[in-house]
Amino acid sequence: MTGHFHPYHLVDQSPWPLTAAIGAFGLTAGLVKGFHNSNFNLCFIGLFIIILTMFQWWRDVSREGTLQGLHTNAVEFGLRWGMILFILSEVLFFFSFFWAFFHSSLSPTIELGSCWPPVGVDAFNPFQVPLLNTAVLLASGVTVTWAHHSLIESNFNETSYALLLTVMLGIYFTILQVFEYYQAPFSIADSVYGSTFFVATGFHGLHVIIGTTFLLICLFRHTLNHFSSNHHFGFEAAAWYWHFVDVVWLFLFVSIYWWGSCLFSM
Amino acid sequence: MAATLISRNSMSLVRRSVIISAIRTKGTMPSGADHATGLEKKELLAKAAGNENPFDMRVIKRNAGTKDTPNQIPSIFDKRLVGCICEEEATCVTWMWLYKGEPRRCECGHWFKLVEAKGL
Ligand SMILES: [Zn+2]
Repeated sequence: MTGHFHPYHLVDQSPWPLTAAIGAFGLTAGLVKGFHNSNFNLCFIGLFIIILTMFQWWRDVSREGTLQGLHTNAVEFGLRWGMILFILSEVLFFFSFFWAFFHSSLSPTIELGSCWPPVGVDAFNPFQVPLLNTAVLLASGVTVTWAHHSLIESNFNETSYALLLTVMLGIYFTILQVFEYYQAPFSIADSVYGSTFFVATGFHGLHVIIGTTFLLICLFRHTLNHFSSNHHFGFEAAAWYWHFVDVVWLFLFVSIYWWGSCLFSM
Repeated sequence: MAATLISRNSMSLVRRSVIISAIRTKGTMPSGADHATGLEKKELLAKAAGNENPFDMRVIKRNAGTKDTPNQIPSIFDKRLVGCICEEEATCVTWMWLYKGEPRRCECGHWFKLVEAKGL
């Protein structure tokens, strides 16, 4: 009995699910503990373990796919559906924040002054930095498509340039958001306006950082010749994720920054 | 000792980047089976050779299935569970165990025989 009789990837024993569980438990328990006594050491240890786990687990996946050739057509099909379902779960995650926002903003309570933004909340002008951020993310959507087409055309150098440009636009967006947060005249504790604003835009910012990291890893893998013109799902998954982050921003911009800053009262 | 280790490691890193940059200066990238390895490559080569079903994953189409020319059912084991759709209008699948060296007839009259699977 020699040869392969099925296209599936039967994975090897791995310590990473266990270390991921330990890290996730440390992260959540440490976060709760930190909220109680302002000491976030356990939280950072958990975060550190999670980051180490992510690096090594996905390094293993890259090796299995690229260097060991274990990602057949059937395996790639599973990876695609895994990514689609993951992004769908992320859509639902953000849907809940928009629900909270519209629940509170469409019929503002008397405690808020029956108006939105609430009395005393000085909202951002959506046509300053937020509009620039919209342009930056839309431009990054163009450059990531440029990178993808270069990859399909087997153009090594243009793939590198376009991917680098995309990562730089992602970093630029994050920097702009940090400045915006720094200058905000309201905080997360300023009524449900501050809560919904910072939870929604904050989680979006976290996703931008994750998406930028994902694209940066793709850039590193590309320089190591991990991708071919017809097999580069790691890149495609990063691009899908990036487009998702982009679309969430458009909804944030239109709903929370723009519509949410135009004063109306009941 | 440490200095030796550091210099050895950095030298191997330098060598590695030289090898990579030699590919990089071409500006193009390998594709398909040229880039793939392992099972992925075997699958691509099989498909390039005209084998669209390299892992025997598809439903086996039944032939005449007489006693002399039984349907060949590949297996890597000594027995395999066979489901026969006896006729086009059948509302259920007829299951039976097929053993190595024992050709067997389904109740509908079609013959089956276990053969050794070749694999990829
Ligand atoms: Zn039958």
